[in-house]
Amino acid sequence: MQYPDDSENLDQWFPRDASAYMQAVLPIPRLGVVVGGSLSKGLVVKLDRGQSVEDLAVGRYVVVHGTNKRFFCMINDISLNNTNPAIQSDPPDISDPFLSAVYTGTAAYGTIHVAPMLSIGDDDKPKPVKTIPSHFMEVMNANVEDVNDVFGHEDESHFNVGTPLELDETQINIDLKRLVERSVGVFGKSGTGKSFLTRVLLAGVIAKNQGVNLIFDMHNDYGWEITSENGSSVKGLKQLFSSKVTILTLDVESSRRRNAKFDSEVKIGLDEIEPEDIAQLRVTMSLSDAMIDAAHTLHKRWGDSWIRRLLKGNVDDIEEVAENTPIMSGTLLALQRRLERFERWDFLVAETPEDSVERIVNLLVEQQQSVVLEFGRYGNSLEAYILVANYLTRRIHERYIDKVERALGDKAMEPPQLLITIEEAHKFLDPQIARATIFGIIAREMRKYNVTLLIVDQRPSGIDEEVMSQIGTRVTALLDNERDINAVLNGISGAAGLREVLSRLDTKQQAIIMGHAVPMPVVVKTRAYDEQFYASLINANGTGINIDKARKTLGSGGGERRIR
Amino acid sequence: MVSTQQEIVGRILRASTKGFTCGTSSRQVDTRHDFGAFVKVPIANDGDCCVIGLIYAVEIKDDQLVNELVMADSVNPNVLLDQRENRMVPVEIDVLNVGYGYRDANGAVINGFHSLPPRPPMSLTDVELCSIYEVFTFTQRYDFFRTVINASDVPSDDLLAAALRYASQAYPENQRYEFMVHCGQHLARMLANDLKRLSHVLALIRPA
Ligand SMILES: Nc1ncnc2c1ncn2[C@@H]1O[C@H](COP(=O)(O)OP(=O)(O)OP(=O)(O)O)[C@@H](O)[C@H]1O
Ligand SMILES: [Mg+2]
Repeated sequence: MQYPDDSENLDQWFPRDASAYMQAVLPIPRLGVVVGGSLSKGLVVKLDRGQSVEDLAVGRYVVVHGTNKRFFCMINDISLNNTNPAIQSDPPDISDPFLSAVYTGTAAYGTIHVAPMLSIGDDDKPKPVKTIPSHFMEVMNANVEDVNDVFGHEDESHFNVGTPLELDETQINIDLKRLVERSVGVFGKSGTGKSFLTRVLLAGVIAKNQGVNLIFDMHNDYGWEITSENGSSVKGLKQLFSSKVTILTLDVESSRRRNAKFDSEVKIGLDEIEPEDIAQLRVTMSLSDAMIDAAHTLHKRWGDSWIRRLLKGNVDDIEEVAENTPIMSGTLLALQRRLERFERWDFLVAETPEDSVERIVNLLVEQQQSVVLEFGRYGNSLEAYILVANYLTRRIHERYIDKVERALGDKAMEPPQLLITIEEAHKFLDPQIARATIFGIIAREMRKYNVTLLIVDQRPSGIDEEVMSQIGTRVTALLDNERDINAVLNGISGAAGLREVLSRLDTKQQAIIMGHAVPMPVVVKTRAYDEQFYASLINANGTGINIDKARKTLGSGGGERRIR
Repeated sequence: MVSTQQEIVGRILRASTKGFTCGTSSRQVDTRHDFGAFVKVPIANDGDCCVIGLIYAVEIKDDQLVNELVMADSVNPNVLLDQRENRMVPVEIDVLNVGYGYRDANGAVINGFHSLPPRPPMSLTDVELCSIYEVFTFTQRYDFFRTVINASDVPSDDLLAAALRYASQAYPENQRYEFMVHCGQHLARMLANDLKRLSHVLALIRPA
């Protein structure tokens, strides 16, 4: 602070512009000082008296300026305190502005609890916190520079996904390379913006060429025009990246009805379905172990046409099996009844002219296309969704393993990083089946074969714990169920502090991102998925739509180029 | 009340490092002797170092003649007036020391210390009213509150309140309220374990 020091200079004492004077003598704005805490439980910060607790919010970033380091922290609790508890029984008359100004921040004050997440020392590199700042260090609101020091700038692998709370002028750039390297989870209650957020992430991966996607699009949310809750329509990925995205559909009728463009139709041959594919439906179709055994037996006895033959339900056939194998006819009939619904699914046909798996692999690997598989009306049938997703993924994964192994460690020969998006993930990754299903396997084997998952789910507690532990990056919008919150935070360091934050996110367009793709957990206001977003993709590092078109017309973009 | 001219409050009668009493003739008593006013006086054998204090009592002593006149049935008004103005007994002004400081080139005692002076002033030294600048700089810090609050034999709550109201006049009008709020906040911290006393003092300094 600077005081007037010349007793002869009246202007210095009583400047004409009093507000400028006050500004000059007031200290720089800050939140408060560290008064206690621990590394495990977080820091307690006493708010300066000018700071109103009402202006703060959990999830916000603050920076503690230690002696040699800056500590990046997230507010995870806010409380009211007093220096003398007696004040509670005889509170001052706060309607008097003078008394209010005097008491607040002094005899009664606010404290915030902040969890230190990262520190930046002299070398300007963010590091995990291994210590805490000492007593009475100043706590400031994070500014643009602080955020940029942690999250870096947008570049060929960093993608802007939104802004941190209360810091609209800056942006959070997540590391897409790290994002796709391990599985990703997008969680949140229904209507919190999971699909919008997922679309933002996918758009980033495609725009920045960080991998190819296979999207099992249950509700037609990703490919072509999507109608948002407020009635306006937003663009699908194909509209944003016409030459990098292929839309396949299981339900041509629905696509036509919705006026949605698609590139071609996918059919699956009944004869190609193996007992292993049926086994993945164990929970959804309530198949008993005996029924699954029966499927294997039938496959062995009847060969590829086992399903068709079972569905025909020839009495002699059933009796023959029941007599010659340990399988009871009741089990066979029950299995038959369960599989009957296959007949209502038009995408299942007796024979297919071409191998859909081969086609998809070709699109992904040779043409480096992202593939959106629209389910149309079949999205309403969980059984159809699970059957198809498992069927395709199992086979694509096999080819991937094959290709990776044949590359013999030569990165350039390996197929591009593949991110497979599934919705209602807990139905695939239920603890009862996660060990056996292909998605459980992919999640657990990590990035060995260049395949990772992007699972979208509103009930993360239903997902196998081991699979959850393998999810590298967790993006979670509002969750209110205690068990879901636990599931998402399980294994995250500093989770206790995030709990309050997580349960108090806005109901839309806000999420915490934590894990592999970000240096520290961060609450973001998700980027609006709108015209401005589309436009930004065009300019995104020379990888946007225009350049794409140019490349296509030039006839390049062949199979040799690797997405890395 | 506060002014920039040199204004003598009185001369030292008795002094210690904790405080002093100065005297003046009853004719002189006016706003310079207000309860809560800031005064300064050089300490013994150091013309540059001045103690800064607050007037906490002004006493008009009696003597034999006054006692008799009070009892008398009827007295000539001129005698009363003469006795009031030309008494041989000084008016005594009691001051509590709250700090000290050194004179700058212009003779002003600014940026003083909020602690007791190294030595008391000598008898008969002139005691001056602090200037507006001196009051302003001295009250940029609040450490002297504690000296006042803890002083014994002094009406400390009223004294502090009076001193702060007095000091607020040294601030530009648009800053007075803020000054009082800052003082109140400091008091709130100091008196946190005596909320009754706190609310009493706050009531005394609360701007109208
Ligand atoms: N980033 C965003 N930009 C623009 N609008 C958004 C965004 N996030 C959410 N919204 C709004 O919120 C609505 C719900 O979002 P969304 O459909 O993604 O929720 P959801 O979590 O996928 O719900 P459900 O579980 O029912 O599928 C959208 O229709 C849109 O209006
Ligand atoms: Mg959705």
